[in-house]
Amino acid sequence: MAYFLFFLLSVVCVAAVLGMIISKNQAYSALFVILAFTCTGGFFALLDAPFIAVIQIIIYAGAIMVLFIFVIMMVDVHKGIAPEKKKWTPVFASGIAVVLLIELIIALKMAFNPLNTSSSQTIGNPSDLGHLLFTKYLYPFEITSILIITALVGAIILVKKKEKE
Amino acid sequence: MNTYIALYPILTIVTGALLIILLEVFLKKEKKDYLGFIAVLFLLVSGAECIKFWNKGFSYFEGNLLLDKFALFFFLIMILTVIFITLISLKYLSLQNTDHGEYYGLLLFALSGMMIMVSSRDFLVIFLGLEVLSMASYALAGLKRNDERSSEAAIKYFLLGSFASAFLVFGIALLYGAVFSTDISTIMNFFHAETSLSLMGLTGMAFVIIGFGFKIAVVPFHMWTPDVYQGSPTPVTAFFSIGPKAAGFAVLMRIFFPFWKEAVNSEIFFHILWILSVLTMVVGNLVALRQKNVKRILAYSSIAHAGYILVAILAGDNSGLVFYLTVYLFMNIGAFSAVIALSRKGKEFLELEDYSGIGFRYPWIGATFTVFLFSLAGFPPTGGFLAKFYIFSSAVHKGLVPLVIIGVLASLISVFYYLRIIIYMYMRKPTRNVEIFSYNPALFLVLFLCLYGVLMLGIFPGNILFYIKQAVAALAF
Repeated sequence: MAYFLFFLLSVVCVAAVLGMIISKNQAYSALFVILAFTCTGGFFALLDAPFIAVIQIIIYAGAIMVLFIFVIMMVDVHKGIAPEKKKWTPVFASGIAVVLLIELIIALKMAFNPLNTSSSQTIGNPSDLGHLLFTKYLYPFEITSILIITALVGAIILVKKKEKE
Repeated sequence: MNTYIALYPILTIVTGALLIILLEVFLKKEKKDYLGFIAVLFLLVSGAECIKFWNKGFSYFEGNLLLDKFALFFFLIMILTVIFITLISLKYLSLQNTDHGEYYGLLLFALSGMMIMVSSRDFLVIFLGLEVLSMASYALAGLKRNDERSSEAAIKYFLLGSFASAFLVFGIALLYGAVFSTDISTIMNFFHAETSLSLMGLTGMAFVIIGFGFKIAVVPFHMWTPDVYQGSPTPVTAFFSIGPKAAGFAVLMRIFFPFWKEAVNSEIFFHILWILSVLTMVVGNLVALRQKNVKRILAYSSIAHAGYILVAILAGDNSGLVFYLTVYLFMNIGAFSAVIALSRKGKEFLELEDYSGIGFRYPWIGATFTVFLFSLAGFPPTGGFLAKFYIFSSAVHKGLVPLVIIGVLASLISVFYYLRIIIYMYMRKPTRNVEIFSYNPALFLVLFLCLYGVLMLGIFPGNILFYIKQAVAALAF
C-alpha cells in the first residue's frame, strides 16, 4: 500500500512540476505548484511525520501560494520575461541543474548508510510538539504572539485609509 | 531566583503598547499627544522596576529570561532612549502630518523586542526579540505615508531586514546542527572544546555575524542605512541610530565576551571583525564627507560610530563599550533633537544650506547642537572624547596598535564634516528663510537633558562607570 501510494505521489508530483514549467499561463503554473507541494506533504505523511505533512500543505500550498498569486496578479501575465534576460536563463538554469544533480547523487549515496534514524518515531508527533511548545518553549511561544500583533498593527497603520482632512 | 516577577519590566512595556493601541481608537485627533504621555508613564514604571531589581538577579523560563545587571543596564539605556524619542515626537508628529496614535504603541513594541533580545542567552529567544524589533521598525520607517521617501525607506528596510533575518536564522540553525543547542554558553563551550575547525559551526557563526552586521549597520552590510535614515520620520531615525544598535551590540557582547580568551577558532573571527571594523570606520567617515543632507551626515556618522564600537569588542573592553553606547545615546539623540527643532508645519530643514546663520538666529539650538557635534567628533570635555579615549586606550593595551591608528585617523576625518555643520551655523550668512515652529517644551527638555548627560559623562564619568563595571561583571557568569 505504502509503495503504491509512494509511486502514485511521485508520478503526480513529477507531472505537476513538469506542468508548472511547461504551461504558458503563470496562473496555471501556480496551481501546478500547489499540486506538487501537496504531493510533497504526502511524502512526509508516508515517512511518519504527520505534523510536517500538514504544515507543508498549510504553509506552502496555502500561505506561500497566496503570495505567488498576488505577485502574478500584479505583473502582466502576457508579457513574460524580458528578452535580454532570457539569453542567460538557460545557462544559469543548466548550471544550477548540474549542481542539483550532484547533490542528488550524493544524497542517494548517503541514503544507503543513513545517519541516526532512531528518533524518526517521535519527530513529527503533534501532541509531543504541543507539549514542548507549552513547557520548554513557552517563552518563545509567547514572544511570537507579541511578534504577530506588532506585525498586524504595523501593517494596518501603513495601509489604513487616510483620514478626511 | 526563578520567579515570574522577572517578567514585570517587559510586561509593563507590552501592556502600555496594547493600552495605547486600544485608546487610540477613542481619542480625537487633537488629543493624540495624551498617548505619548501614557507611553512615558509606562516607560517610567518599567524603568523604576529595573532599578528595583538591580541587585535581585531574577530569572524565569529556565534562564531564558535573565535579568542580570547587564540586561538591566541595557533596559535602562533603552527605556531612556524611548522616553527621549517619545518626547521629541510629540510636536513633530502633528507638524509633519504623521500623527498616528499607534506610533507610540509601535515604539513600545520595538522596545519590548529589544528588551527580550538583551535579557536572554538563547538564540531562539534573541531571534524572536529581534523580529519583534524589526517588525515595529519597518512600520515606523514608513509612517510618513504621503512622503515617497518614507515609503521607500520602509520597503528597503523591510526587504534588506528580512534578508538579514534569514541569514541570522540560517546561522542559528547551522549552529544548532553543530552543537544541538541554541544556548549561547553551550555554543561557546563547543567552540572552546573543539580543537579542529568545525565547518558547520564556523559557517553558522559567520551567518550570525552577518545577520547582526545588518542590524548594527556595519560596512559592507550598511547599504540600507543612509536611505532608511533619510526617509524615516526624524525621531524614528534617532531611534534607529541608537536602539537596535545598542541591542545588537549587547548580544554581540554576550557572544564574544567568552569567545576571545580560549577558543581555538577565535582567530578567524578576530580577523573578520578587525576587517569589518576598519571598513566601517573608514568608509562611514569618508562617504559622510560628501553629504549635503544633515540626516544623511548623521546616518553615515552612526555607521562610523559602529566601527569604533567594534574596536571595543575586539579589545574585549566591555565597560568601555557600554560607556560608549551610553554617551552615544545622549549625543546622538541630542543632535537629532536639534535637527527636529528646525522644522515647521509640513517642512523640515535638512539641507546643509538651511543651517547657515542658524547659530545666531536660534542661539539655544545652535549652541546645544554645537556641543553635540563636538561630542560626536570626540573633543574634550564632552562624553564623546572620554568614550573614544577609553576604547582606544584599552585597544592599545591589547596591542591593537594598527587598528587604533586607523581609528584615530578616521575620527580625524570625521572632525571635518562635524565642524562643517558648525561652520555653516556660525560663519555663513543666512541664505534661506528658515522660520521654525518654536513652541516645543518637551523637545527643549530633551535637548537640555542630553546636554547635561553629555557634559556630565565627560566631566564626572565615575558614577556611571561604577554601575557599568557591575553590569559588565555579570557577563562572566
